[in-house]
Amino acid sequence: MKLRRTVALIAALGMVFSLAACGSKEDTAAKAEPEVKEEVKEEAEVETEQAAEPADAGFTEFPIFEDEEVGFMNVSAVYFQPVPMSNGNENIEDFNIHLECDVSALENDLGYGLGDWIPYLTVDYDVVGSDGALAAKGTFMVMSASDGPHYGANVKLDKADTYSVTFTFHNPEENGYLIHLDSETGPGGTFDKYFADGNLSVTYDGWDYTPQEW
Amino acid sequence: MLNYLINVTKSVAVAAIMIGLMHAFVPSVDGRRGLKILRIGCIAGVAAAVVMAVLKNTTKIIDNSGGAGMWNVRIFAVSTIALIVYYIFTYKVMKKDKGKLIFSIFAAILAGTLIWYALPEVLLYPANFSLNGASYFSTAFIYRLLGFVLGLVLTILIFLGAQAVGKRIRLETTALILNVILLINGFQQVTKGLQVLHAKRIVNGHLIFNLVRFTSNHSDLFIYLMMIAAVVIPVILWAKSMNVNEPYENSAEHRKIKAKWRGIRRWSTLLIVCFVVVTLNLTVFAAIANKVVELSPVEECEVREDALYIPFTQVEDGHLHRFAFTTPDDITVRFIVIKKPNSSSYGIGLDACDICGETGYYERNGQVVCNLCDVVMNINTIGFKGGCNPIVIDYSIENGYIVVPKYTLIDHQNEFK
Repeated sequence: MKLRRTVALIAALGMVFSLAACGSKEDTAAKAEPEVKEEVKEEAEVETEQAAEPADAGFTEFPIFEDEEVGFMNVSAVYFQPVPMSNGNENIEDFNIHLECDVSALENDLGYGLGDWIPYLTVDYDVVGSDGALAAKGTFMVMSASDGPHYGANVKLDKADTYSVTFTFHNPEENGYLIHLDSETGPGGTFDKYFADGNLSVTYDGWDYTPQEW
Repeated sequence: MLNYLINVTKSVAVAAIMIGLMHAFVPSVDGRRGLKILRIGCIAGVAAAVVMAVLKNTTKIIDNSGGAGMWNVRIFAVSTIALIVYYIFTYKVMKKDKGKLIFSIFAAILAGTLIWYALPEVLLYPANFSLNGASYFSTAFIYRLLGFVLGLVLTILIFLGAQAVGKRIRLETTALILNVILLINGFQQVTKGLQVLHAKRIVNGHLIFNLVRFTSNHSDLFIYLMMIAAVVIPVILWAKSMNVNEPYENSAEHRKIKAKWRGIRRWSTLLIVCFVVVTLNLTVFAAIANKVVELSPVEECEVREDALYIPFTQVEDGHLHRFAFTTPDDITVRFIVIKKPNSSSYGIGLDACDICGETGYYERNGQVVCNLCDVVMNINTIGFKGGCNPIVIDYSIENGYIVVPKYTLIDHQNEFK
């Protein structure tokens, strides 16, 4: 009788442990999943060298879209938990996500190294629900995380839906960023080449989003 | 206050129902041993929750191992298997088969994982009380603490009530209702696990997304379903108490029976009242907590050819004043003016910020607060760029007037679309 109970107990515990291992496998699968976002960052790090690997950065990013070419920029979007930020932006109570736009340079004649983060941009975001209603809108702030600088904002997005995300990029010259024009020191190009018809934008339809418990 | 009451209720009330009923059911199957094992499971769950909360708040360990979401998936995996084994052995136990020990162990694992999942978030709420510029002695802090404590008290009452009523009804009825509630919860936790895996792109497909979208957008529905199932027990007991036919031999025994049923009625009433409060939390209180603050009306000011003129006398009382200008494109652009404390200067900016858009600002207890994110502005920094501060606009001071040129408002009209 006692033996049977012990055997049953061992069997039960064995089952639980195997399940815990199952959880670990899922985690391994998560890491093995090729998240293009991470690849983009690694590529960028060849140039910047200063930003930490996302794995070392200590947070898990959820991809929205990766590697969209917008003019001279490579654009990716991710989200993760809302984060407190300096300068009066510590409160994260009412936000669901931190939406991040990663912008790195493609081959260009504007003086950016391949994969460089592009500063001095104004990046607006629009998130539209499947019913066509605007769910979130604003202008990203510029900030640094442990994996480097980016454009981002804490966003309230508490409804699960298939969203359409649009990022609009303004000419860096609007924020006072200049380019050398002489042939000796200038990179050869100007922003007019890309922004002659106004702002650049990228829209990704089909972001299947559900709020997460962080 | 209400936000914390609602959040605590949402996080742990359902776990309190299940664990309360388990505390009634498990000992009635496996006696003192069952109760002991169940308690060990609960204590282990609380300990795991405390460790998780500390690790989450002070280290990167949780994030480095997949984030809180993946940890929830792991907890759900253990919980779901414990649930299945629990079901199998409930059936065997009800058939008077042997296996009570395994039944108790898996009930304990189930209870432990329910606590482990639900509690860490609640334990971390106090860490947010002093955010938002609130000091430890401010009313905002005390209200948040009060909401949090009320939520915990409600949860404890639900646990005690469920345990008390669960003991007073037939074993099979408690088992059935508990199992239905566990099934609803089990289904929800599986979908929550899928939600994490879908967000991480580990599982894909429209069918899964549509399922998790529905369960995510209707999470309160599961709380209602579990409460509806649970409320059957106190309702049955109330009905029974109206018609007690227990035999007695003397008046002392009669008094004893009456006292017993009085107690049962009290516990039943308490549990029903708790469920009503939870329902109020999810409906009326949630509506109040999410109510958008009505902005104070726009004030009149003198509009001349190129600019708006606001006399100092109109805005020197230290309160928030709101003005507006309708652009040629028929867009109303609002801006705010507030005299800075202990200063002769004014804070002037759009009634909108880069982060929260045109949501606007309102005055609360002498502070300027963003209507969307509830961030309290430092009045002295209004007029400076950054964060949730009002978007900066051009203005000048002329002969006792604040002069806001029309062009600066037209330039920013896109903020108000």
